[in-house]
Amino acid sequence: MKKYFAIFSLTVKEYFVYRLNFILWRVRVFINLLILFFLWSSVFEKNPQFGSYSKDSMLSYIIYANIISNFVLGTRTPEIAGYINDGKIINDLLKPVSFFTYYFTRDLADKAVNMFFFFFELALIVLLFHPNIHLPKNIFFGIIFLINGVLISYFANLLLSFIGFWTTEVWSPRFLFMMLLFFVTGSYFPLDLLPAPIFYLLSLTPFPYFFYLPSFLSCGFL
Amino acid sequence: MIQVKNLTKIYKTTVKGSSFFSDLFNRKYKEVVALDKVSFEIAGNELVGFIGPNGAGKTTTLKILAGILYPTSGQVNVLDYFPFDKKRSFLKQIAFVMGQRNQLLWDLPALDTFQLNKEIYEVSDDRYHQIVDELTSLLNAENLVEKPVKTLSLGERMKMELIATLIHNPKLIFFDEPTIGLDLFSQEIIREFIKKYQKQYRATIMLTSHYMEDVKRLAKRIIVINKGKILYDGNLKEIVQKYSSTKLVTVVLESKIDQIKLSSIGNIISYVFPKVSYKIDRHLIPEKIDLINRLLPYMDLTIEEEPIEEIIKKLFSGKK
Amino acid sequence: MLNTIRYYLRLYLLFTKFAYRTVLQARLGILFFMGAKLVRFAFFFFFILIIFGRKSNFGGYTFNQAILFYLTFNVIDTAAQVLFREVYRFRPMVLSGTFDLILLKPHHPFIRILLGGGDILDLSLLFPYLLLALFFAFKITSITFLSLASYFILIGNGLLIATSFHIIVLALGILTTEVDHTIMIYRDMTIMGRFPFDIYKEPLRGVFTFIIPIGIMMSFPPYALFGLLSPFSYLLSFVISSLLFFGSLKLWDYALKKYQSWGG
Repeated sequence: MKKYFAIFSLTVKEYFVYRLNFILWRVRVFINLLILFFLWSSVFEKNPQFGSYSKDSMLSYIIYANIISNFVLGTRTPEIAGYINDGKIINDLLKPVSFFTYYFTRDLADKAVNMFFFFFELALIVLLFHPNIHLPKNIFFGIIFLINGVLISYFANLLLSFIGFWTTEVWSPRFLFMMLLFFVTGSYFPLDLLPAPIFYLLSLTPFPYFFYLPSFLSCGFL
Repeated sequence: MIQVKNLTKIYKTTVKGSSFFSDLFNRKYKEVVALDKVSFEIAGNELVGFIGPNGAGKTTTLKILAGILYPTSGQVNVLDYFPFDKKRSFLKQIAFVMGQRNQLLWDLPALDTFQLNKEIYEVSDDRYHQIVDELTSLLNAENLVEKPVKTLSLGERMKMELIATLIHNPKLIFFDEPTIGLDLFSQEIIREFIKKYQKQYRATIMLTSHYMEDVKRLAKRIIVINKGKILYDGNLKEIVQKYSSTKLVTVVLESKIDQIKLSSIGNIISYVFPKVSYKIDRHLIPEKIDLINRLLPYMDLTIEEEPIEEIIKKLFSGKK
Repeated sequence: MLNTIRYYLRLYLLFTKFAYRTVLQARLGILFFMGAKLVRFAFFFFFILIIFGRKSNFGGYTFNQAILFYLTFNVIDTAAQVLFREVYRFRPMVLSGTFDLILLKPHHPFIRILLGGGDILDLSLLFPYLLLALFFAFKITSITFLSLASYFILIGNGLLIATSFHIIVLALGILTTEVDHTIMIYRDMTIMGRFPFDIYKEPLRGVFTFIIPIGIMMSFPPYALFGLLSPFSYLLSFVISSLLFFGSLKLWDYALKKYQSWGG
């Protein structure tokens, strides 16, 4: 157990080696959130209702969706592909730690750092926009699906990194994956706003279960 | 051709603080004096060896002369230009070969890089073909130019690198550790090439190395630098006479001699029967030789100059 | 003068040719990248479609106008990537010391580190975006020849701003050892330009229009097309882009003086 704690704290430390880099990363996350809020505020300027959402419920959704997406998506697995390509992966395989657990611990560290700072950024956004946040209603199911989402995300990311065993083209499939993820996971807008047939098709893929479902549940729509 | 007067270069680097916040708000800087009022002059058609340990300031000097780095203070004049201005007419006359770093396009044959440089340096077609032929034959590398660079060995790549860098027949060439990392055979080839090139094209060459062999074989004049200061600037032969106070005396013994008797002659550097080597002060040579004649039964006796490496080492450690 | 132009044009073509040859060696990768970019484009397109499909809008614009904002963003962003793809490869060059070798060459380093290695593949995306933009532009009945001309002039102005940003990124690549993804910050800020700048409130809007002129870069061309731009705003946009451009060049000169040439 102690060794996992060591892995965890070491990963956290890595973030603070390059301070400026770290700050700029957080600024980027913040700007992203900012754009989303401005966008939806603008949409609700003329119409008080958008689909089945009011301004407050939409902004609440966006908040939960982004908390969850930041948590689920935080990962260190992309570096694995690089290690496979240049052979450094051997170092990790030779360690007396389960490969999967090792990287899962690193992922948890990434998520922890992400979440910690994200709450400050979120607080700033809430201060600026004063949305009336709906409190989460279905926390229990939300958490279950959250854990599920984290696991799905972890293994999907691993799969992507393992492409490195076959080719040096590791960034392009990941880039494609990230682009798809951007929308179909519902972090930009709630997926039930899509036309029904598309929504149905999407439900057959694993994407919505990354975080649309947890957020949706938290907002109490189920 | 090159005039350097009181050249000083100070690097300012940030020191990493102990905490996240101290780094952000209270940055501490560390100043490293890489060059301290360095002065020298180099004329045309000279091959000068620039030696010093790691961090002495050799590469910094060359980079300032080539216009890559900006001097903190002092005067630098190369071919009547201030190098940092990087005027096109200036850059067309110089070349810089950095060991272990290359400009060759990786996936393509070296010939493509040659042609790229031909365009960049605006070399005429005739001149280009002539130079490529001359250089490839000097290096015995005719068959290598069309192979993709990534398939060549390190030594072969170095040959291609040399040709690519010299396509425009520069007047002034800087070699920064050109033989580093190469096997002895390749080192030999590079040295021979530099020697022949200088003779044939009468270029001015500044060569840095921390392999004494490079300098011994190529340079008549050397500049010794350490910790940003010039320690010696002059003839390679003279440095021995000026700074060496000892000679190396090697005796090949006929029979085993008692250790105490051996030590009574002088300072033993090494003793592996039958050879014993002494380090003896110049002035004491006649006296010690006399002593050896009387006390040691020997088959052979040699008196040599102190190796240049030793002399340079003494210079670096500040002894005289 | 003409000789210099010919010299740099020849070098530009050579560098682009070499970059193209290197890129072509990864054919499957190209497919994924193009696919990913098309996916991204399609999603935002449908996003805007969905918003307007529900009889809503942002900034009070019609659907055609909103799409035009989005397409203008794509045109400028893609054009910048076609030209300045090499900037993404600058940091490794500095770290490995290859940048020294470029400084030694008699041509201006920008032809290599700013423009060398243009992305031909993105060029194939640029034309459809441009055509789509023109398609939607002509659907807007209020446009005139003058407004169309000013649209393109301001796109050119936007590209000048993009050039300045990329030069700043290059300078920062030399000045700081800590920021490995300066270019990503540029990308993250410019995506603010996907939507009409009206949606942003002060003081953010002011900062990103006058200090970091994303607003001028991305939203002013459509404003001009819809006839919403005052003559003063035209003047302002050219003044700011010129200031930014000369500022970036000064920053670059400063960066070269501070360059310490690590690596190797």
